[in-house]
Amino acid sequence: MGVLAVFIEVVAVLSLMLSVSLSIIVGPERLRTAVADLPGRLRVAVKPIALLAGVLLINSVVRNVGVDLSWIIGTNITEFIFSLEGTVVATIQSITPGWLTVYFGYAYVYGYAFILVFPLLASILADERRHLRHTAFAYAINYTIGMCCYLLFIAYGPRNYMPALVEPALFDTFPRFQLLTSEVNANTNVFPSLHTSLSVTVALLALRDREMFPQWTPFAVFLAASIVLSTMVLGIHWATDVIAGALLATFSVWAVSSDRVASLVSRWQSLYARLR
Amino acid sequence: MAPRSGNVGITRRSVLAGLSGTLAASSGCLSRIRSLAGRNQPEPISVSIKTLPVDQDPYAIGIARQLSAWFEAGGIRASIQPITAEELYRQTLINQDFDVFVGQFPGAFADPDAFYPLLHSTYSVESGLQNPFGYTNLLMDDLLERQRRETGNKRTETVTRIQRRLVQVCPFLVLGFPNAIRAARTDRFTGWNGVFDPSPTNLLTLNTTGTSATRLRATTPDDRPMANLNPLMSSYRGPSDITDLIYDPLAYRYRGTLYPWAATNWEWTDSLELEVTLREDLSWHDGERLTASDVAFTYQLLRDTSMGSPAESVPTFRYRGRSSLVETAQAIDELTVQLQFDDCSRQTARRVLTVPPLPEHIWTDRTNKATVRGVNVGVTTTDALVTANVPPVGSGPLQFDSVAQGETLVLERFDDHFLETPEETGLPSALSDGLAFEEFELQFVGSDSSAVALIVDDEADVTALGVGPDLSSTIGRATDVSLNVDRSEAFYFVGFNTRRPPLTNPRFRRTLSRLVDRNALAQSVFDGYVDPAVSPLAGTPWLPPDLTWEPSDPVTDFLGTAGVVDSKRARDAFRTAGYRYNDQGRLLQS
Repeated sequence: MGVLAVFIEVVAVLSLMLSVSLSIIVGPERLRTAVADLPGRLRVAVKPIALLAGVLLINSVVRNVGVDLSWIIGTNITEFIFSLEGTVVATIQSITPGWLTVYFGYAYVYGYAFILVFPLLASILADERRHLRHTAFAYAINYTIGMCCYLLFIAYGPRNYMPALVEPALFDTFPRFQLLTSEVNANTNVFPSLHTSLSVTVALLALRDREMFPQWTPFAVFLAASIVLSTMVLGIHWATDVIAGALLATFSVWAVSSDRVASLVSRWQSLYARLR
Repeated sequence: MAPRSGNVGITRRSVLAGLSGTLAASSGCLSRIRSLAGRNQPEPISVSIKTLPVDQDPYAIGIARQLSAWFEAGGIRASIQPITAEELYRQTLINQDFDVFVGQFPGAFADPDAFYPLLHSTYSVESGLQNPFGYTNLLMDDLLERQRRETGNKRTETVTRIQRRLVQVCPFLVLGFPNAIRAARTDRFTGWNGVFDPSPTNLLTLNTTGTSATRLRATTPDDRPMANLNPLMSSYRGPSDITDLIYDPLAYRYRGTLYPWAATNWEWTDSLELEVTLREDLSWHDGERLTASDVAFTYQLLRDTSMGSPAESVPTFRYRGRSSLVETAQAIDELTVQLQFDDCSRQTARRVLTVPPLPEHIWTDRTNKATVRGVNVGVTTTDALVTANVPPVGSGPLQFDSVAQGETLVLERFDDHFLETPEETGLPSALSDGLAFEEFELQFVGSDSSAVALIVDDEADVTALGVGPDLSSTIGRATDVSLNVDRSEAFYFVGFNTRRPPLTNPRFRRTLSRLVDRNALAQSVFDGYVDPAVSPLAGTPWLPPDLTWEPSDPVTDFLGTAGVVDSKRARDAFRTAGYRYNDQGRLLQS
């Protein structure tokens, strides 16, 4: 199965998951209003989505040159991370039964794609502008800081460092997924775990705005927890990466929620406007 | 508790008296203080082990981690740095920035003379594959030079002495020859055994199964061929070097015998003078004719890539041993080149014929001092040692078609190659039929398990490099896929940077080597897929019986049992070598 086939598989499964979950969580009523006012909803969504797309674009450019650049300017912290945490990941792997590994494999690939896309789509359809804006900003913060870390720190994941103890579970269980992940990311970009930071971001925002989609909140928290665990169960990330990812998520959610940051941003904006 | 004196009044006089008393008392031990304070505080020894991550080499990091544990038992802190191939070989081979590195020797050790560039002291200051360990020893130099001149029993004896010395002084440790595990599809092509090892030119021995397959698809975890195709840059060339397919040598070693390749024959015209005749109608991939002048040019370029223009010569990163045999190279006519050798035997001299000629009309422009966009970066090197050489112009059976950086490299059959013409080639029939495919695609794949998945799903035909032993059952279960296990000529080794203390000390290195149990490595890291060895010449008639490795007689005396270092014995051995330990049990520099 080539990269394209795997990609199509993921997109197909993702669309199915999204259509089912949107119709349940957003609900037929809100969906009907959304369809009636689709152009208006999309117009509102353009700005935050464009910001996110811009950040992702810069990201992919940096990622292309980033690996070579980080070998020049970056520090190899693999050994340091290992000295911090030792064989925690190996232990987590050894206590996870085989059938759960399969579940975590799906959580890592499909669950992750789903948890990223769902809040954006749901808040567009339900006209939750604040949630949409905050989600997009928080993603942008995660990606930007994560990218800087990838440039500054070179680290190989546990599966690359202690093959005797940690099994490369994702690629052994689903070798086809590696074609996809190696397209998206280099194997030295593990600190921090963006899988962790972005899913935790979604979970925290879902908790904050829990009255918006009451059914979504517990589901998001459960799914985020699964994704966080999966990064370690599958031998891809160190516990250190996961902790750093969770801290990054907390920071991003604080930054988009904080009034002080908001006033700072608006002051910058007015200063910028005056300078123009 | 001692009773306290009630009230001690400190008067000025008593302080003065005390001071002068202390001074008087200390004058005797002042010299003692000086000789103590003048000493440097001894530092605990720590080394870093650089190697490839699992994605690029199934065994290297396992070896490094085992070494680190063994060194730790001897009181030496050893940290491990997994580094991507391109960067690892730049740091180790070019910049000599390493303590210890674990890797696979790039290519086969075809002749004992391969020791010459690897260990001769004149190469210790050069960058490249020649003497990366910085080993310098006049006695070794003498042996290396002697084996070049000698023949017969005398040479065997000298080569035996070189190997024994190697095991004693350990500039590097041979660990063993891996049995590379490959997955190959059998429904499109057959004849897979040994195809990529040691030379990809063995692809010539493949046959189609009669299907209409025209493209051979190989996977590799090494992304270097997609970035650089310069045959002179050692940091980009691995154990199965793809440029061997693009550049043809004058003679080709196949199963131990040297066959005329781009040359039709060679003849000794004097004791140290060889006349080589090229095949007629050879051409480069760009259509230019390949002549004797290209060959002569190549030998000059390999001696000094600047061709004598700056004041200092700039030697290549590869082929140093072989090219150093040639004193002068001269084109006599279109097809004949005359080689004059330094003092060496004919047996050794013939080795220069395995160096691939480069096209003069392309490389002559690369002899200038290298700059970055016209800016001098202060490094004295030439464009020949910097250029990525894409697209490459060679004369081999495959020519460059396209490359997508970090993804794929596509080569296509060179229809003007002499193997593709109906003429008699004088080569063994397995090789002389030309290629069984029109295109060759080398595809980068992130890890060996996904490489095997591609083979199983019929997205690729063969894994170019060996995969990890845990995948052998997956390969065995798949239909139309064969599991090929070949003894690789590219041995695993542990290289020491003998420029850095304490690795400068042969006693230290020898004691380190006694912390290595090849038996345990073979079981725990290689899962049995290795032939442990102590000499690069293991498996050849050059290996003396006393250096033959066997589980019961592992040649070097391991300081422990069954893969576990006996900490006390290790410490005693380092103490015997003159080293000391601090209170925390760490081995000290001095």
